[in-house]
Order: sequence, then C-alpha cells, then structure tokens
Amino acid sequence: MENGIATQGEGRDPSGFLSEIIGSSVTVKLNSGVVYKGELQSVDGYMNIALEKTEEHVNGVKKRSYGDAFVRGNNVMYISAD
Amino acid sequence: MTSQLLPLELIDKCVGSKIWVVMKGEKGMLHLLQSHQVGTLTQTLWIEFSGTLMGFDDYVNMVLEDVTEFDYSGNHTKLSKILLNGNNICMLIPGGEGPVAAAS
Repeated sequence: MENGIATQGEGRDPSGFLSEIIGSSVTVKLNSGVVYKGELQSVDGYMNIALEKTEEHVNGVKKRSYGDAFVRGNNVMYISAD
Repeated sequence: MTSQLLPLELIDKCVGSKIWVVMKGEKGMLHLLQSHQVGTLTQTLWIEFSGTLMGFDDYVNMVLEDVTEFDYSGNHTKLSKILLNGNNICMLIPGGEGPVAAAS
C-alpha cells in the first residue's frame, strides 16, 4: 500500500511506530483484557512481543511480575507507548 | 459514471483525522470479568477506540494517537499512541468521536 511506504520511519504506520518504541516502556493489552506493562525488547510482523521487567495486570490489579516474557501475537489487542 | 471509492481508499482518506474503531464482541471476556454472573453470558460486549489515525497497513493494523479506549464496563482510558491489531476490528467510523459523542 502506498500509504505505508510514503510515511515509513516517522512512526506513523505500524512498522515505523514499532521501530520507534523498541526499548521504551509499553503497555500491551490482550483480547482477554489482561494487561502487560514492561520494556519492549522486540516485536515482529505477527505482533509477537518480547518484554522485559514485565508486570501482569488483571482488572487493573497487579497480579505477577516476570523478568522476561514472550507474548504470542495472536492474543495482542494493542501495544501502547507509555 | 464516477469511479467508486474502495473501502481501504476510504480509510486512507482518514489518515490524519479522527476515527472511531469498534472491535468485535468478545463473549469470553465477560466470563473472565464477571464469572460470578454466568447468567449474563449471552450478552455480547465490545471495546471501542477513538483517536487520530496516523497510519495503517494491509491488515488494517492501525497506529492511533490521542486515543480514548471505551471499556465494556463504561471506563474511559486515555492512551497517547497505540498500535491496534487489525485482527479484531469490526467497524471503522471516519470522523467518529466515539460512543459518548454519538449518543448525545
């Protein structure tokens, strides 16, 4: 799609946005409603996500924390830059 | 005859302006949140977003800015910039300010 190529690298289209937020603190919400907050280590075209210093929140309540976490992309609703 | 506007061309015209996104209903989500009220499981709940469309790709994954997330429980959550997975998107309303503005 023309749109994607024309605006790439400015964080406007999906791939540009992802490269922009690598290494920063993000919030990942799954379709189940569970939220993971952590440092975004990497992400791929499937929206598979590797997080560091991860906190798991269920219904707004912190449940667990993980040093490293891999989230399979099919469960991801959104990735938000904090 | 005027040339017709394809669906994705319509969305391309929305880049830079406000858009309202309605996600597919998730019946399972209610079970997770209100497992003590199994009787209401037939009710379909969904999540909606309104924000400025910055860009999208072939899967209609979208980058949105200045987002408000409208929760099934009536909560509003502000998010500065998100990548929304296109997989569960049901409907896009160009210029939409979200369910609250539409109701008034």
